[in-house]
This record gives sequence, C-alpha cells and structure tokens, in this order.
Amino acid sequence: MKRINLALLAGYVLLTVAIVGCGSSPVVVNKEASTSAIRAAEEVGAATNSNASLYLQLAKEELDKADVFAANGEKERAESMLTRAQTDAELAVVLSRGETEKAVALKALEKVKILRQDNTSSKGSE
Amino acid sequence: MKHFKYFIVVALVAILAGCATSLPPSELVNARLAFQQANKGQAAVLVPAELHKAKLALDQAENSFLQEPESYRTKDLSYIADRLAKTSEAEAVIIAQDAITTKANKDYETTQAEILKDKTDLLADEQKARMEAETKAAKALADLAKLAAVKEEERGLVITLSGSVLFASNKSQLLPAAQDRLNSVADALLENNGRKITIEGHTDSQGSTAYNQTLSQKRADVVRSYLISRGYPENLIIAKGIGEDRPIANNDNAEGRANNRRVEIVIDRSNN
Repeated sequence: MKRINLALLAGYVLLTVAIVGCGSSPVVVNKEASTSAIRAAEEVGAATNSNASLYLQLAKEELDKADVFAANGEKERAESMLTRAQTDAELAVVLSRGETEKAVALKALEKVKILRQDNTSSKGSE
Repeated sequence: MKHFKYFIVVALVAILAGCATSLPPSELVNARLAFQQANKGQAAVLVPAELHKAKLALDQAENSFLQEPESYRTKDLSYIADRLAKTSEAEAVIIAQDAITTKANKDYETTQAEILKDKTDLLADEQKARMEAETKAAKALADLAKLAAVKEEERGLVITLSGSVLFASNKSQLLPAAQDRLNSVADALLENNGRKITIEGHTDSQGSTAYNQTLSQKRADVVRSYLISRGYPENLIIAKGIGEDRPIANNDNAEGRANNRRVEIVIDRSNN
C-alpha cells in the first residue's frame, strides 16, 4: 500500500513537471523595426493607395500575430513574424512611392504634350 | 507468418514515405516566381543590389526547405524572400519613373527654348522684312520726288503731276509720255501698298465751271483706271473731280493756269 502511494506521488510530480515544462512564460521581442516601417508606410499614404494598402494591412496583422507568439513565449517565431511585418511594410512604402513617382512622371509628360500642342496650334493660327 | 507479412508491408510504406520529396510550401513557390519575374524585369538592371538581397533571402529559404520542409521557418523565410523580390521590382519602377520625369522635364526645357528661338527668329525676320519694305518705300518715294512734286500735308502725302504732262488740252486721254511717268508713280505707290489714295483732278478757270468739273472728274477717273491696271487695289483708290475750285496759282496768266491744271494723288497716312 505504501509502495502504491509512493508511485502515485511520483506520478503527480512527473505530471506537474511535464505541465510546467510544456507551458511557456511570455517573452520580450524588439518590435521597433517593424513598427517604424509600418509608421513610415502610413506616413507615405499607403493606407489610401490601392497597391500598397494590402501590404500595410498584412504588416499590421503580422505585428499582432507576433504579439501573440511573444505572449506564448515563442520568441523565435515572434521575431520571424516581425520580420515578415517589416518586409510587408517596407514593400508598402516602396509601392506608395512608386505611385507618387508615376503621377509625377505623367504630369511632366502631360506638361510637355500641352506645350507642344499649344505651340503647334499657335503656329497654325499665325 | 501473417504478422511478418504485415510488418514487411508497413516497413516498405514507411521507407517510401521517407524517401518521397516533400512539395514546397506555397510561400516558397511564390517567392521563386516573384524572384524570376524581378530578375527578368528592370530590377536586374536598375536595382541589382536590391535584387541580390532577394536572391540571398531566397537561397536561405531554399536551404531551410531542404532541412525542414514543413517548418514555419521555411514558410517565413520564403515569405520574406517573396516580399524582397517584389520590393526590388517596385524600386526599379520608381527609378524608371524618375528617369521618365527627368527626361520629360528636359524635353520641356528644350521645347521651350526652341519655341523661344522660333519666336525670336520670326520676330527678327518680320523686323528685317519691315525695314526692307520701309527702305524700299522710302527709295520709291525719293525716286518719285524726281518726277513729281511731293509734299507732306495734313491730309497725307501729296504727289502733284502737271496736267500738261498727262493730258492734251481739253482732253481726258492720257498722253503717251504720261504713261511712263504714271508707271513710275504706280511703282512707288505699290511699294506703299495697302494705303488708301485719292486721285484729285484740278483745272484752271477757263471755260464753264460745270465743264471743268466734268473734265477734272474724267481725268481723275482715267488716272485711277490706269493705276488699277498697274496693280493697285481697286478698293483703295478714289477719284474726285475738284474742277477749278482749288487753284494753287493765279488763273490770270498762262503760267498760273498751267500750274492749276494738275492731278494730285493724296496718299493717306494710315495703313489699312
């Protein structure tokens, strides 16, 4: 009887150790690079840009996921998710800038076209 | 024996499953495609460093796939490689658009300079042509002054041709010699083309006033017709018979009457 009690006690101890071993305490991760990339994307207007808004949204979602992983103690996974968030946000920045550059280029081309048209029509009316 | 057979089958399946190559995750497939696309596009030329970063990331993902095909690490590395490839492509677009803007701005400046040069040239040509025309007209008037009396008056430039040079007494047909003189007058007038002119016929006081009025009108009409035949615009010439009303000399002597028998061509000051 005493042997059985000892065996049960040993079993409880092992179970407790196993449970404690499986659960993890929250970890701290450095989110600075990803959050500043997201901020930069927002500043260049990625949220209102049809191409860039998707990547900005993904970056935000990934930042949230990284928080969950960090809360569960999965540091490596959280950091990997933060890198994903950063690359998505950086892509959103570049796409937004691309749209702006396109608009500037179109405007410059239009300006030349109008100047040439005006010159042709003024020559015609001379 | 039966158990042994099962064991053999299970072992074979396990071996085959172990040897079978795992399919790459969709993230890795996307990353490969994204890199291929960027590598074929402008990124390879315009942003090689960015593209190289994407290549390194893709290599890392491929290595991870060989070691841990199903791991989140492989998926995340592939995802990152995909985004880096897309970013390099987007960077290339920025550089290409920037080049378009720079070229367009340069074209604008060049075109503007060309237009300015064209306008300046045109202005210079016009000025030159105007000066040439003015010189020619001035020369024509100077030549005219040798053939007839030319006088600047309030009503305009007045060219006075003696009646006796143009017409026989009491006639309204031009004398043959008059045509030479009128030709010179016509040439000078044509150099000042575009101005309104008035041909005035004047007589002395011999004969009736009505007769003189008719004669002076006829003579003015004849000179007008002649100038039109020489190319002066019809709508710019008016013929007026003044008769004996505006003598410039005394009608009491022959010399004065000769001076009064005349045709005056008045050139209007303003251009039409």
